[in-house]
Amino acid sequence: MRYATLVLIAATSALALGCANPERSRDLANPKISATTLAQQVCSNCHGLTGIAVSPNFPNLAGQTEEYVVAQLTGFKSHGRHDPAGFEYMWGLSRSLTEPQIKGLAAYYARQAPALQETEGDRRRVDAGRSIFESGVAAKGVPACAGCHGAKGQGNATFPRLAGQHADYVVKQLVVFQRTDERPEGVIMKTVAHELTRQDIDDVATFVQMLPGL
Amino acid sequence: MNGSTLRGSRLHASLPRALLGVAALWLAVLSGSAQAIPAFNRQTGQNCVACHAGGQFPELTPYGRLFKLTGYTIGERTVPISAMAVASVSKVANTSKSDDPAADFEKNGNPILATASLLVGGKVTDNIGAFLQVTYDPYATHAEDGSFRGHSNADNIDIRYADRFIGEQRDLIFGFSANNNPSVSDPWNTAAAWMQYVPVPSPTGSRFIDGNAPYPGYGAGGNIAGLTAYAFLNKTFYAEIGGYATSKGVLSFMSSGIADADTTKLRGVNPYWRLAYNREWGPHSLMLGTSGMIARVYDDPLNTSDPASLHRYTDLAIDAQYQYLLDPHSVTAQFVYTNNRHRLPASAANQSVPFVDSNGNALPTTNAVDTNNVARAKLTYVYQARYGGSIGVFSLSGTHDTAYLTAGLEPGSLTINPDPESSAPSVRAVDGNRTGSPSTHGVTLEAFWTPIQYLRVGAQYTAYGRFNGARTNYDGFGRNASDNNTLFLYTWLAY
Repeated sequence: MRYATLVLIAATSALALGCANPERSRDLANPKISATTLAQQVCSNCHGLTGIAVSPNFPNLAGQTEEYVVAQLTGFKSHGRHDPAGFEYMWGLSRSLTEPQIKGLAAYYARQAPALQETEGDRRRVDAGRSIFESGVAAKGVPACAGCHGAKGQGNATFPRLAGQHADYVVKQLVVFQRTDERPEGVIMKTVAHELTRQDIDDVATFVQMLPGL
Repeated sequence: MNGSTLRGSRLHASLPRALLGVAALWLAVLSGSAQAIPAFNRQTGQNCVACHAGGQFPELTPYGRLFKLTGYTIGERTVPISAMAVASVSKVANTSKSDDPAADFEKNGNPILATASLLVGGKVTDNIGAFLQVTYDPYATHAEDGSFRGHSNADNIDIRYADRFIGEQRDLIFGFSANNNPSVSDPWNTAAAWMQYVPVPSPTGSRFIDGNAPYPGYGAGGNIAGLTAYAFLNKTFYAEIGGYATSKGVLSFMSSGIADADTTKLRGVNPYWRLAYNREWGPHSLMLGTSGMIARVYDDPLNTSDPASLHRYTDLAIDAQYQYLLDPHSVTAQFVYTNNRHRLPASAANQSVPFVDSNGNALPTTNAVDTNNVARAKLTYVYQARYGGSIGVFSLSGTHDTAYLTAGLEPGSLTINPDPESSAPSVRAVDGNRTGSPSTHGVTLEAFWTPIQYLRVGAQYTAYGRFNGARTNYDGFGRNASDNNTLFLYTWLAY
């Protein structure tokens, strides 16, 4: 009985202590929680504390353009972006975020130092990827990625940073753009990706993952 | 026979009013909006695959582990109720070698509604969250007319307080868990409370499915009340330490609905500990861990007056889990090994048995100390969180003990006979033992399909290479280990 009482006291004190803790809250429906707190307490679980995701299932967000992150979070929240990974993971998390929180999250990731991936990989594939990235595929009418995403893949406004992104994630998104209408905000990519072969996609993804280290 | 009795899903008793009271209280505390999907999924708005590897419950992804360790507090408060139900059919290879097949293999080959659970889970405050499961078992007991009688009882309970200090220098998650089963608070699936094939139906027709094969467990059993403190540093080092006592007084809801005679009664506070090393790189994650418990359990749950009637258990385990999770693939390898030392109360040790060896000499008396070792390994692959398959192996070995004998050579005639004291009503019990060894090993294969995240359909086959110490004639009356091979088909709904 003494042990039971101890547990009860512990539980009650925990309840008293735990009612509100805005500095370290994981509450996604409280507009008072700062974007930094949410980034640290929730987003970091998959995207890393500084926006560098350990698992290639999740995109790196470090150094991502603010406009792009705002557009994606808004797209998740409105269900405009409905690729499987998007709705499985992000619809729910974003559903109650306020506009200031979304902007704050975008600013948080924009100011993080971008990922620098190890420059390993098949040289021929990297070179093929570089060629597509820098010059496109003229014969198929595929424009150069660098035209919109920047010469170093650093991104520009709603055109996301690609440099240092996980190749697996880039491949997945190019396939989504090419074969579905699940990302209407990126509809321009449908035309761009339309003529790419699977090998092209793999090559260009390998290349951008190594930027800006190359 | 083995550690399978240590899991809580098939315990029985009446409606757990206290637990429903907790649920009602919870609802009163809540202010969030309501949507109709399972509780945690509704709280975060995420699909099952976010937290469960390949969508297979209950195994957690790295993110799912953090969700649990941060006290189920990610997301927003919602109505915290969901439910699940299992319909199944199981068929054992041989039902003829039994004196009473109707009793030994009830419901064998018959489709049944096997179990149903009500789950109450989710965020309460910024630091507090919980997971409570109430399980209904339609085949819990027999009424006097022989028909089955259903009961509900407290199943897994885990109520947490957690906080997280995260910054560039360190990431420290720490918290407390009030729970009713040692290791139910653990975030890795190789923990004794979680390392099992699920679902598990209840009736005796399914007594040889994998869920009833040897599993690692703690001698303290479930349905007890414990408080543990834990910390997870830099997603690398995990430590948990706690104590367990009898579930009573204000904590009696921990064993709510379980008859007093079926509740584990512990003497004092019994220590449990857990250490783990975790590493994540790319799509890989690896855990190497150890855990243990020392428990003093009263022989008779209804009489806790005599300290001399205590069973003393020491459990030590090592476990490892590897996951590769990269859409559309999910690969998991798991391993756990436990050593269990059991010192019996003096009154139960050194008892003579009514059997002799082949020369007519009396067999040794029963042991004062038994040890056994359970090893389990499982490899699972799931494609697109939809099509999955696994292979699992299990092995229980342990000291010979004449206490295990249900049959043996009768003095005088030197013919095999059942134990005259324990045989009634069945002479040839399917869980009989003529060797005095608990040794049991086998393999389980499973294939499953998850067409939508709320529904899983599976086929599982468990084959025994050895049962109660022998490959053939383990009961002394001709029943072979392979006679227990069982096919188990199920449909599992969670909503």
